[in-house]
Amino acid sequence: MRKKILAMALAASMAVSLTACGGDGGSTGAGGGSGNVAITIFNSKSEIQDQFEEMAEEYSKAKGVDVEVYYSNDTVSAHLATRYSANDPYTIAMVDAKDVYSLAGEHAVDLSDQDWVKNTQYAISVDGKVVGFPVCVEARGVMYNADAIEGITGETFNPEDYKTLDAFQGLLDKLVAGGMEAPTGIMKEDWSLGAHYLCEVYEEQPDVDAFITALHGGTADLANNTKWNSMMDTFDTLKQYNYAAGSPVAAEREISEQKLAEGEIAFMFGGNWDWSMINAYDYSENMGMMPVPQNMDDGTNEKLVGGGSKYFFIDNSSNTSDEQRQAAKDFLNWLVFEDDGNAFLTEKCALVPAYSNINADALDPLSISVKKYADEGKLIANYDFFPDDHYSICGAAFQKYLAGQSDRAGFAAEIEKYWSSTTPVEH
Amino acid sequence: MDTNSMSYKSKQFLMFAGVATAVFTAVVIVPFIYGLYLTFTSWDGVSKQKPFVGFANYMSTFADGAYWQALGRTMIYSLIAVILVNVVAFMLAFLVTSGVKGQNFFRAGFFIPNLIGGIVLGYIWKFVFNRAFVALGNALSIGALSTSWLATTNGAMLCLIIVSVWQYAGYMMLIYVAGFMSVSADVLEAARIDGCTNMQSIIHISVPLMVSSFVQCLFLTITRCFMVYDVNLSLTNGEPFNSSVLAAMHVYNQAFTYKNYGTGQAEALILFIVCAVVGVLQVYIGKKAEVSA
Repeated sequence: MRKKILAMALAASMAVSLTACGGDGGSTGAGGGSGNVAITIFNSKSEIQDQFEEMAEEYSKAKGVDVEVYYSNDTVSAHLATRYSANDPYTIAMVDAKDVYSLAGEHAVDLSDQDWVKNTQYAISVDGKVVGFPVCVEARGVMYNADAIEGITGETFNPEDYKTLDAFQGLLDKLVAGGMEAPTGIMKEDWSLGAHYLCEVYEEQPDVDAFITALHGGTADLANNTKWNSMMDTFDTLKQYNYAAGSPVAAEREISEQKLAEGEIAFMFGGNWDWSMINAYDYSENMGMMPVPQNMDDGTNEKLVGGGSKYFFIDNSSNTSDEQRQAAKDFLNWLVFEDDGNAFLTEKCALVPAYSNINADALDPLSISVKKYADEGKLIANYDFFPDDHYSICGAAFQKYLAGQSDRAGFAAEIEKYWSSTTPVEH
Repeated sequence: MDTNSMSYKSKQFLMFAGVATAVFTAVVIVPFIYGLYLTFTSWDGVSKQKPFVGFANYMSTFADGAYWQALGRTMIYSLIAVILVNVVAFMLAFLVTSGVKGQNFFRAGFFIPNLIGGIVLGYIWKFVFNRAFVALGNALSIGALSTSWLATTNGAMLCLIIVSVWQYAGYMMLIYVAGFMSVSADVLEAARIDGCTNMQSIIHISVPLMVSSFVQCLFLTITRCFMVYDVNLSLTNGEPFNSSVLAAMHVYNQAFTYKNYGTGQAEALILFIVCAVVGVLQVYIGKKAEVSA
């Protein structure tokens, strides 16, 4: 009998330890139980998770609203899907622009009546209703290290002098002659090539939607498209002066960013999010971003490509109460209209604000460039309706081109083949 | 007590296997059936609606060239890796049972790679292939090492195989060690008296008596190689240009990155069937070859 009880106890304790392993990681923030309204926020920018947690604590104290902040490494939409299927959605979720379109119809609250709507040009509307609150502005372009350039040329580097590829190439030659063996770097990651560089070919077309439709229909002649050839000419130049030209697909992003930060190379295509890697090294303050140089006079070589990045939406399901929804709206207003909220966005998180009433002068060098172009209205808008496999398949084709395993015509043919075999994203 | 009654038997079963059965049902059987259901829907992984589409996902699976390429690649990878893992493991096992000095130390040493998780292992070897080998190649002017193997199509696959062998050889070695130990000394002694050389006694005495070890090792390595994902992710991530995407990684991408959950699930099912057929066939053939002394 005794043995039986022992066996039962053992079995029970094993069962308990099994279930105990299923804990949910990554939850933090102010504890509940105080009778306050409690809201949850999902943050999908890992680099500002600490700041978010700190803010949640302060906000809870100041406003009497319990805020809990969560972060997950998973793909954003996959993570939210699990929360929704568990009937436990976040009150406020931070997602990418394309996720707003795929989730908002079913899950988001109409925010059209909010005051911040008229202070931003980046909000996302679905079916005529504003549903996406832009968290920040991010843009793509060529990052430069001005100290490295000036150290060789002896003149002040003014990016506006190098709008054309010819001028840019002249500068690269000068740098090489001055002792910088390879002045450029290229990120070989498929998202950088396929989702950032290649997409500029589409986004800088006079009519993006028409061009994408033509690609789907197989009528867009990519190989003879002016913009395609212009962007690829510039890419060829970047490739020619690439420090890793011998084995470009083996270049690791960490190494490339370090070389740029420390001035071993002078230029690399990227975006202001790259600062979160650059600041890990002994970086130069005198850095910035410039448009991709091109031998075209359509004005695109005076603009960065970008816009709102990361969007908040508020859950509309019955799992969230009206008080929680109101608290969530108040939180968004706090971010835009109160000094503490502004300071959180621009000073603590160093994000480029998406709202005209927010000043920001404590940003990192790359973000300062982005803000300058954004304030001057020199941002070419992101196109948010690429199929989900575009970056992977076209990025692989781009990587092949980078490695010298296909030529420009072959690359163009692969892109055309991809588009004609994929279904258009409705919008 | 009537040990043959239904109530006694079911009590015994519940006590010893009840918890395990419940957990197994909850985490394997139920998800498997639910997954089967999802292959007949065009769910995107996020939406509330799961529209029923019949066999459309199986049609698109058959039309998905990248999947079949990945599956073919997985078979080649598995074939080479399985052979190498077992050959290396067998030789190591022979080495550490032959009475060399410090053989317990070697046993532990060869087993250690298996204790490191696949993700960590992938990152470590990525560093070795990308930096250490390249630095070595440049310093000693060895042409084959001066550029990273991970940057070429065949090189990346070779790297995957090398890492798998390194990871699994130690584990399989343990099973072969047990096999060697189970061959009784008197049989070997009798063989030696009859004039067998060392080599002959391994081939004609030890190996036939160790068939069950081979069956186990082959089964474990085959299933693991077919399902490999972690090392694939951290070592190559499918690069260069998606040429090292193995079947499991393609399934994951299809379901979660490209948001074709139903198609991904259907592809996973086919991978499961292929893997199960190969595994069961191998065990069946292996069992037939077993002999006893």
